[in-house]
Amino acid sequence: MDRIREHRGAVVAVAIVVGLVLVLVLAGEKEALVIGVIAGSAYGLLALGLVLIYKSSGVFNFAQGEFGTIAIYVLYLLHFRVPYGFAVVGALIAAVAMGVLTERLVVRPLFHAPRVTLLVATAGVALFATSVEIWFGEATARPIDRALPTLDRFSVLGVQISDQRLLLLAVLAVLAALLALFFNKTNLGLAILGASQEPTATELMGISVRRLSTLVWAIAALLGGLAGVLAIPEGGGFAPGALTVAFLIPAFTAAVLGGMTSLPGAFLGGVIVGIVEAVGTSASVFDGIPGSAGTLLVFIVLLAVLTVRPQGLLGRRS
Amino acid sequence: MTAVADPTQGAADVGDDARQWSGPSPVGWLARGIVWLALAWLVLVFPLGRQAFEVQQYSEAVIFGIIGLSLNVLLGYVGQISLGHQAFVGIGAFAAAYVVSEQSQSFWLGVAVAVAIGGLQALVLGGVSLRITGLYFALVTLAYGLVAERNIFQIEEFTGGGQGQPAPKPEGFSTDWRYYYLCLAFLVIVMWIDWRMMKTKGGRALLALRENPRVAATFGVNVKALTLAAFVISGAFAGLGGALLAFNDTFVSPETWSFNLALIFVIMTVVGGLRSRVGVVIGSAFFALIGYLLDRFPVLQDALNAIPGAPDLSAEIAPLVIGPLLLLLTLTFFPGGIGQQIRPLQGWLAGRRFDLKDRGPKEVQITDVRA
Amino acid sequence: MSVLETLGVSIRFGGVYANTDVSIAVGEWEIVGVIGPNGAGKTTLFNIITGFYKQDRGRVVYRGRDVTGLAVHQRAALGLGRTFQNVGLVKGSTVRENLLTAQHLEAEYSMLAGMLGAPNTFGVERDLNERADAIAQIMGLGDILDSYVVGLPYGVLKRVEIATVLATDPDVLLLDEPSSGMGPEEAHELGDTLLDLRKAFGLSILMIEHHVPLVVRVCDYVYCLNFGQLLAEGLPDDVRNHPQVVTAYLGEDAEVPGLAAVESQIESLLDTE
Repeated sequence: MDRIREHRGAVVAVAIVVGLVLVLVLAGEKEALVIGVIAGSAYGLLALGLVLIYKSSGVFNFAQGEFGTIAIYVLYLLHFRVPYGFAVVGALIAAVAMGVLTERLVVRPLFHAPRVTLLVATAGVALFATSVEIWFGEATARPIDRALPTLDRFSVLGVQISDQRLLLLAVLAVLAALLALFFNKTNLGLAILGASQEPTATELMGISVRRLSTLVWAIAALLGGLAGVLAIPEGGGFAPGALTVAFLIPAFTAAVLGGMTSLPGAFLGGVIVGIVEAVGTSASVFDGIPGSAGTLLVFIVLLAVLTVRPQGLLGRRS
Repeated sequence: MTAVADPTQGAADVGDDARQWSGPSPVGWLARGIVWLALAWLVLVFPLGRQAFEVQQYSEAVIFGIIGLSLNVLLGYVGQISLGHQAFVGIGAFAAAYVVSEQSQSFWLGVAVAVAIGGLQALVLGGVSLRITGLYFALVTLAYGLVAERNIFQIEEFTGGGQGQPAPKPEGFSTDWRYYYLCLAFLVIVMWIDWRMMKTKGGRALLALRENPRVAATFGVNVKALTLAAFVISGAFAGLGGALLAFNDTFVSPETWSFNLALIFVIMTVVGGLRSRVGVVIGSAFFALIGYLLDRFPVLQDALNAIPGAPDLSAEIAPLVIGPLLLLLTLTFFPGGIGQQIRPLQGWLAGRRFDLKDRGPKEVQITDVRA
Repeated sequence: MSVLETLGVSIRFGGVYANTDVSIAVGEWEIVGVIGPNGAGKTTLFNIITGFYKQDRGRVVYRGRDVTGLAVHQRAALGLGRTFQNVGLVKGSTVRENLLTAQHLEAEYSMLAGMLGAPNTFGVERDLNERADAIAQIMGLGDILDSYVVGLPYGVLKRVEIATVLATDPDVLLLDEPSSGMGPEEAHELGDTLLDLRKAFGLSILMIEHHVPLVVRVCDYVYCLNFGQLLAEGLPDDVRNHPQVVTAYLGEDAEVPGLAAVESQIESLLDTE
């Protein structure tokens, strides 16, 4: 009984997911459910990056989405010239490069500034990336092909799932597990956590806090890049600021819902937010709401979590 | 960190200096007078001879000044970040347009309604800020901006759906030049209200509240009520800015109010210099005019086009590119923004000695932003 | 009739019982000391009295009125003034601005009137400034009125803080370790200042202190807290020699009968050198 109380958050989270699934299946909204989970995996991937950076430095990284947008732009530019696989690698390298640059040029000089200042600074980075995309790429939207073309191998609850979407979900699950293990079990992961709480002590133990910071941003950028590369080709097209406009707020909501310090929480949060948004978009009960009901529902979830349980489902009260 | 000298000693030195310097010489007065006149000419007379389209840009610069001042109340005085300020401004714009076009009421009523709605929205958001602090509140404002864009601005009756709402200029101010002076008058009023507020108990209480709410409470400051009041003031100014923008463009459409604009607002206020009225107005005007200046002075365009492989930097995206760079510069090297840099000049113009070392209060680390 | 009392106040934070059944009283124009080792719950008690914490049990009574439901700023309006352990001032403002801000409740105009520049605000502001000048003169701060607080040395800060709390026009002053960071002479001067202020302003004072000579000299009554509970109370000398108080400070194995004995032993040692 005590163990259940301890992991109360996790129990609630799983209960919510199961509950949502049941409700949607019974209400005949199976498509919304499936689409929601898939969209949610992209949110979850971005949320993983957000939680990673927050766990290690307390920074809300508003540029997380743009790591993905830059990746997709590079993918687009490259995939005409080289095989798709190489283009993907190139795109991910570009995302990581952007992450490292952001860390070096923006985060490091402001290392000791209040976290609010860093929030504004990363928002500035996101704006800069978007403006460069418009500048060099024009404001038009463009389509891009999927990596894995098979569309109809699987079918869940009557909804076709493309191989690509499955890949996205699989990648998310694997990464969430890997990162959780990394932080709990490996020396490097523990060092990163230690550096965020006690930078001086960490330095005294011979670990370079600066190098750790770069590593964290590189990994987060990689996660963002993966989200872009895997999710965008499914959506049909992309435009400047793609991942920030459509994905960042749901990703943040997912991170908050899961708990800003919990990696598994980011995964769960992503799935829940994805389902909520899909329900808002497709369920006829929301037809009267002007504009995008999904956006409104996600906003309500954000407000609800922050007022009722600010540490999220799996986070710890600081 | 620099060493702290004995302050009582420093005060004595300054006192000596101040006592010895009994005001500007006649030449000093003349110099100051000339600069004042030049500034007055630039703001009041110069636009008269320009084309209508250009004057519209200047009006927009003035209105951006009002918007910057409104955001400065939140960012600079209360210490809360709003990444959804374009929602306040946009809703104000649509409200004014709606009142005039759909309800056939006067411009003045439209402005009043915009101010009231701006204040009301801000009151609600302020209530939220009392429960959700710092970083998370910034997130909420960001999400609110998106809800405004995707839900509120899609309400047919309010915003004409995707079509937008017309907003004809008021009688008596129907030319662009007259409208410019109207906007200027509003800016002066806003600056005056801000000045009086900061010089009296409300403003002092705000500064105390921002830095140290516990101490402010022991001074008798009702922390919650004051925070809400500050939000309302910020929202009211933003609503005013929105209304004025609506009539300046004579049309309001939903696409204008994007996340990018929210960031431009924040950047222009920070670069202008938090808690410096003049700095914020200058910073805001600059951002409003960047695109226009680039068009007007092609030499700047050419300089930017010198970057190899770069296509033309159009007027729309110039602020988006330059903004973040200036922001980073401000945050790392010039935290007080433009306002801090012009302090010596401001002091000189006010009749004091020109003191290059006058940099205002040292920035106190605000550590009570709970994440 | 006491001007300020706590009746059986208790508060718990998770597993920590920070205050248990603490009852103290401050009489009109008395200076009452609260002593005890670090972590005894003294500042917690102050936080409860001033309204920063809400106690789990018990009441806080001010001039016969139960103030338990009142917010911090409302208790300040009634006349409860307080200082903080790490100096409660607006560091980004000047000394003068702090003194003006502290007179928030004295400024007889609404915030709206202030914003619009109503004529009476100018007169009131002049009065506030005069009062700030007067208080600064009393505390010897006339020279630094226009200096920013952030650069001032620690000792000066403590004086500025006392000036600021005086500007709130309190009836009861709660001072949290006013002599911390001061040497013996400064602490002695502080004692003089407190006695003078009490006479000049008709104040009652409740102070948390570690500096024993100051407590003995200035306090009319003393309470000793340990582990959140009242250990002893009485006249300063009685409390200071109370065996349990000595144990609380010096540890279980202390065999000395009282602090007085320790002090005289040290003195005799010094004499023989």
